[in-house]
Amino acid sequence: MKKVVMYTLSTCPWCRKTKQAFTDWGIHFEYIDYDLADEQTQERIVDEMDKYGANGFPFVKIDNEVVMGYNPERYAALLGLKH
Amino acid sequence: MQNDFRPVLKVAEIAPGGMKAVEVDGHEIVICNCDGQFYALARRCGHMNASLEKGTLDGTILTCAMHCAQFDVTTGEALSGPVPRDAGDEPLPPKLGTYLQNLAALMQSVRTESIRTYPTKVDMDQIWVSMH
Amino acid sequence: MNVESRKKALEFFYKKVVDPLGYKFTPDQELKDFLLEQEVILEQKHGIPFCPCQPIRPRRAQAMTIVCPCIPFHRQHYDAMKRCWCGLFVHKDVTDPTQLQQIPLSEVPHAK
Repeated sequence: MKKVVMYTLSTCPWCRKTKQAFTDWGIHFEYIDYDLADEQTQERIVDEMDKYGANGFPFVKIDNEVVMGYNPERYAALLGLKH
Repeated sequence: MQNDFRPVLKVAEIAPGGMKAVEVDGHEIVICNCDGQFYALARRCGHMNASLEKGTLDGTILTCAMHCAQFDVTTGEALSGPVPRDAGDEPLPPKLGTYLQNLAALMQSVRTESIRTYPTKVDMDQIWVSMH
Repeated sequence: MNVESRKKALEFFYKKVVDPLGYKFTPDQELKDFLLEQEVILEQKHGIPFCPCQPIRPRRAQAMTIVCPCIPFHRQHYDAMKRCWCGLFVHKDVTDPTQLQQIPLSEVPHAK
């Protein structure tokens, strides 16, 4: 089973859609809402996102693959699901 | 008492987009020209009482010059509070830094209130305001 | 402060800024309404209407690049997507915003 971790914002509608997609597929995922996290966690998150040249949420990691931006087709493909 | 309008300024005295402060019966008010429509409101900003005619008028939205609180001149409604004082990234001289921090702390508890408006009308090239 | 009134004020200001840049509000009314509301909430919290979909960084200079409308700071990126990151604004010729994808900056050719 693939490990899914995502960085999101509580204010972002695309992040909501992303969480909803994984929920609908019954795939377990972990998430951190950047805006509700403490300073240290926020710094860690932007440092990681900067490595990938990402400056927007959602930022989704499926095992070692990173998907930046809302992209249900790519999520499904990486999970081996039909979308 | 019937609405006692009195003339305060000539229409030509305020260009469209402009504002002018006048005193009527001991009350300071600001007249705004929004594309030919005139609105009158109390002169003091609902945040920290700065003179509103020193701000900017964009459509019917007035931005106060002092801390950028914004008001709808048609209703006096406060639309947004002040932009927070932020010294930015550059290190400040310690005394100035402390002063600004203390000021910001004081300002945190200041609410931005909506302000009173007054009915206006235009008659014979004059702007008339009712103080009631 | 009244959220609806503030949303209308932001809409009034933004329209003037994005129009000469070649953008308009998204035709997706629900998305537009949701994003504007989030911006009002962010403005009430931070004093500045930040983008609801990008990280607010502690360094002021970086945070300023996501103050809405942030199009000028991300011109090439957004022009390639025909939308801004959160989707509040789209190119003027866009009729169906659901067709527009979020493309990461790294996948936009020549953009920085």
